[in-house]
Amino acid sequence: MRYVRFSSLQRFEHFAVMALFAVLAITGFPQKFYDHRWAQTTIGWLGGVDTARWFHRAAGIAFGLLLVAHVLRLVWQLARGTVSLSMVPTRKDFRDAVQTLRYDFGLTDRQARFDRFDYRQKFEYWGLLLGSSIVVGTGLVLLFPILTARVLPGELIPAAYLAHSQEGLMAFLVVIVWHIYNAHLSPDVFPFDTSIFTGTISEERMRHEHPLEFERLRRRADETAKPAA
Amino acid sequence: MAVRLLRISKAGLRVTLHSFVAVLGTMWLIGQPGAQPAAAAAVDDDTCLTCHSDSSLSLKTRDGAGVSLHVPEGALAASVHARIRCAECHMTTADVPHPERSFASRRDLTLALDTQCRRCHFANYTKTLDSGHQQAVSRGDRTAPVCVDCHGAHDIRKPSTPRAVISQTCAKCHEGIATTYARSVHGQALTAGNADVPACTDCHHAHDVAGPKQTAWELRTPEMCGSCHANQTLMKKYGLSTNVLSTYLSDFHGKTASLRRNQHTSVTGPVVARCTDCHGVHDIQKASDPQSPVIKANMLKTCRRCHPDAAGNFPAAWLSHYEPSLHKAQFVYAVKLGYAVLIPFMIGGLGLQILLHFWRLMANR
Repeated sequence: MRYVRFSSLQRFEHFAVMALFAVLAITGFPQKFYDHRWAQTTIGWLGGVDTARWFHRAAGIAFGLLLVAHVLRLVWQLARGTVSLSMVPTRKDFRDAVQTLRYDFGLTDRQARFDRFDYRQKFEYWGLLLGSSIVVGTGLVLLFPILTARVLPGELIPAAYLAHSQEGLMAFLVVIVWHIYNAHLSPDVFPFDTSIFTGTISEERMRHEHPLEFERLRRRADETAKPAA
Repeated sequence: MAVRLLRISKAGLRVTLHSFVAVLGTMWLIGQPGAQPAAAAAVDDDTCLTCHSDSSLSLKTRDGAGVSLHVPEGALAASVHARIRCAECHMTTADVPHPERSFASRRDLTLALDTQCRRCHFANYTKTLDSGHQQAVSRGDRTAPVCVDCHGAHDIRKPSTPRAVISQTCAKCHEGIATTYARSVHGQALTAGNADVPACTDCHHAHDVAGPKQTAWELRTPEMCGSCHANQTLMKKYGLSTNVLSTYLSDFHGKTASLRRNQHTSVTGPVVARCTDCHGVHDIQKASDPQSPVIKANMLKTCRRCHPDAAGNFPAAWLSHYEPSLHKAQFVYAVKLGYAVLIPFMIGGLGLQILLHFWRLMANR
């Protein structure tokens, strides 16, 4: 039996973020590290800095629209009371994080038991949402510096320039270090956690990685099954 | 070779020990691949001066003008070529009497004789082939300068002693620019005998002269200015900051210039602001001069040359070559500091967690 974990919309969102992130990184980092040979090579390969910037801006605008659509959907769901709270950080997440650290240090043999999303996934989701807001916001400042300086202090532009590039670097490093480990290299999922592409997860993984959700679903299934029996 | 030596002896060469050594040297030189055979040991100067010391000696060009062929005695005495014989340059007239030649005009004669220099100065001659002057020549512009127009003919001196001579040489044709330059901070210092400031050729080069029509040269502007303005010992003398180059390069304009350079694809879009677009070119003034385009009162006007819609706060977006610090651009400094702490903390923390997790998994097995 396989459990549904992601809707087709969520799978699309992940795919779009992944593709746009790659485009933004390839067209963005050669600008940040302009004085390295590989940056010159990449820019040459992309057809010059102006072409690279065109793609960077196009992908950036698409990324921004994706972010806005995502947030608007959440607001809409919140207004209608249909929003899922499974991504909201709770006190349990902090306890889980401490518990996991204690387990990793060998101080306890009891592993934290997770619900639908564990604290690492919540951290990554909220990190992405916050980081995206920063890069999209600063990106807009850089795209419209004259407009920005009409209403805001001019110093905001070099600050946005720095924040945009450093936030992008941090996001890239988090993806390389954290996301690649959790979605590919971790022994739990090696070589490839396919759930975000197929939308489903096996019962074995469900039992192992999301025991609280698994048990709740089982209880509910039992309850709905009983009266029918 | 033998024929030539024979002909020389016919011309009445006095074989002294000195010229014998010269002949041997010439033979050795000719034997070297790529070496330029100097026309040494040709007709001696006395032979030339037999006729050319006559102040009435002249040549009529086809346009009717007379060109004096008089070479006053000692014409070369103060020149760098003082010890070079007439015939070493004037190879085509080594035979006496000279074969008859006809020239359309005085300029025609100059252009014909110009090929003589490259026998010795071949490297500089090849450089001129890349020059803006050469482009004018190939457009058919007969006024475009050749060697003697800048260096002179018999009275050739070191072209850069004193350095102010350089600007005077260029001023012969580029008078307007030379006047503007003379009023600039660099030009004033050069006239006053300061050897630190750039003369025309320091930016434009001497033989491979480049100008604003060569985009590749334009994009090298930061390097050109930086060759002095990023030199700490030199700038210390004048109390100037050497941060100017690095702060420019790490900003949007500088990055664009760097990334457009060395691209084999064509340079698309307008060339971005380089040093000279804000500071001026030949009219560069001190940044503190009230006339300077980069002084605060004139900044907006300067920005508007490229950003016509710029208003109010826009010039403040440029930190005027200052590195953000506790004293300058504190907000930018705070952002810089924040990320300098956050990035290692974040990546280090996550990396450590991964290692810990992996370690525990290994210990479990």
